[in-house]
Amino acid sequence: MSTKTFKVKVKRQDEAASASYWQTFDVDYTPNMNVISTLQKIAAKPVTADGKDVAPVVWDCGCLEEVCGACTMVINGRACQACSTLVDELLEENPVIQIEPMSKFPVVRDLWVDRSRMFNNLKRIKGWVPTDGTYDLGAGPQETQEEQDLRYAYSRCMTCGCCLEACPQFTKDNDFMGAQSFAQTDYFNSHATGKLLADERLDVIMGPGGISDCGNSQNCVQVCPKELPLLTAIASVGRQATIYSIKRFFTGKK
Amino acid sequence: MSDSTVALAEPNSAFGKYHFLLRRLHSLSGIIPIGLFVCVHLFTNAQMILHTLFGVNPATGESYFQHEVNFIHAMPALELIEYALWASIAFHAVLGFVYIFNSKWNTTQYKYEANYRYTMQRVTGIIAIIFIFFHIATLRWRWDIGGFWYTPFWGHGGELADNSTIGMGDMKHVPMSLPYTAYALQFHWVVLAFYVVGVLAAIFHWANGLWTAAITWGLTITAASQKRWGVVCWALGIGLTFAMTAALIGAMTYNFKDMTVDQKTVFTHVLPQDQVTRFLGEGVTKADFPLEAIMEKAEH
Ligand code: HEM
Ligand code: SF4
Ligand code: SF4
Ligand code: FES
Repeated sequence: MSTKTFKVKVKRQDEAASASYWQTFDVDYTPNMNVISTLQKIAAKPVTADGKDVAPVVWDCGCLEEVCGACTMVINGRACQACSTLVDELLEENPVIQIEPMSKFPVVRDLWVDRSRMFNNLKRIKGWVPTDGTYDLGAGPQETQEEQDLRYAYSRCMTCGCCLEACPQFTKDNDFMGAQSFAQTDYFNSHATGKLLADERLDVIMGPGGISDCGNSQNCVQVCPKELPLLTAIASVGRQATIYSIKRFFTGKK
Repeated sequence: MSDSTVALAEPNSAFGKYHFLLRRLHSLSGIIPIGLFVCVHLFTNAQMILHTLFGVNPATGESYFQHEVNFIHAMPALELIEYALWASIAFHAVLGFVYIFNSKWNTTQYKYEANYRYTMQRVTGIIAIIFIFFHIATLRWRWDIGGFWYTPFWGHGGELADNSTIGMGDMKHVPMSLPYTAYALQFHWVVLAFYVVGVLAAIFHWANGLWTAAITWGLTITAASQKRWGVVCWALGIGLTFAMTAALIGAMTYNFKDMTVDQKTVFTHVLPQDQVTRFLGEGVTKADFPLEAIMEKAEH
């Protein structure tokens, strides 16, 4: 009995400091597979197409429903989520599926990368609303539907890193923060309570690697799987920075 | 994972402390001193076509274009403006190269229209600095490049090719702007091609730069406003391309026989005989235009 198989080419790397290499696997086809289930099949039978026994391919994942961002990898040349990328669609464009880790983050092993640069940036921009107090702060201010819509869109960010992977200004050896940080800055700066930390966020976002390093290629908005309004985020943080720098110049703060 | 995987620039270094300011000055230097100058310069040069259309002004005997050049030369503090322009171009170009080396183009992988413009912004910046350098080196500093790209005239006057005792200062009153530009361009098609590429690069760079600057400074916040402003920038770029075309037509169709007697005197005494023959016709030599006439005028 012959089962239908398809080829998967995986870029592998044994540890953070070692060199990468490619391996090809034949994977049994079943309908409606996604890339995670493909990787699971490889893990169950880690034998390359030319019959060599190898260590199973390592990857990272969490939610399996495109909300945590952990499974982001470069599939057929595009940064996307392995859990929501369907094999049938990939086979339509190419008989061989090519999977690599994201190139802009340090590889931990195989397809698993270290995305802590993004989480550190969230800490640097104080990506939270300061609600702790010694007394009841009461109900928050009223917000228009429009404000809520924009912030809902920003809230969908899953820190996946696609926008940074595609960004020509974001490289492994510079300190650019990228669209994800700018979107979250606008997200919290436009919140009625989050605004309390707006100046502190701008101090960070106007430093090295901040908003002024964006080169306006707009790749980020093209690749963001959660369709964040990143054009608005970048221009709006740019506007806040313009106003804040004038204010800072004339009020003499710092 | 540890924080040590995150590369952070030293925020206290000079580059770090003035990071934002430097970036915004880069943007500003592109828009105002350099950009506005390029715009005015292209508009002025476009009037070279006035000569093609209307010939010489019967009142003065000069080309209409010369009027514009005289206007620029009569500007107060011209040298100051020139140095300020050099300073802003140097500043903009040095930082531009720093920014280019700090990023990684990726149009092969991400083929989006805006991404192509991002890469083009960098490519045209590099072409523009090369072009501006050679443009000024040949027309202002009178360098001779490869024997075919040079301008034998200096400012308003000319320097003599023979060993005459008359210096170039003596002929400063003879306006040569249109003949020398036309001569440089008509001399060889390579020069013309380089002008077309160089000026188009500068136009794209400025027009697209105005589009990105509106995002940088936070003027165009929504995708729709960025699109609208993009139409304005395209219109500006097309307008400047028309200006460039008018200037090139003016220079390429310039007939050297239209020169005034004084200009012909400078022209024939400065250039080798084969060029005099090429542009003024068989049989014309510098002997037909004695230097004495021009010298006498200079003394009065
Ligand atoms: C013809 C003269 C030039 C003009 C009129 C000009 C104008 C501009 C303008 C208006 C911008 C947009 C700034 C912004 O987005 O805020 C810009 C950006 C840029 N220019 Fe120029 N520029 C010129 C020459 C150069 C040169 C010689 C270079 C060096 C190679 C250069 C490199 C750049 C770069 C890399 C950017 C992008 C900066 C960024 O987005 O971060 N430019 N230029
Ligand atoms: S617009 Fe800015 S942040 Fe977005 S991809 Fe381009 S350079 Fe990166
Ligand atoms: S902005 Fe979009 S692409 Fe970037 S990290 Fe968030 S969800 Fe991912
Ligand atoms: S596993 Fe969470 S996004 Fe794919």
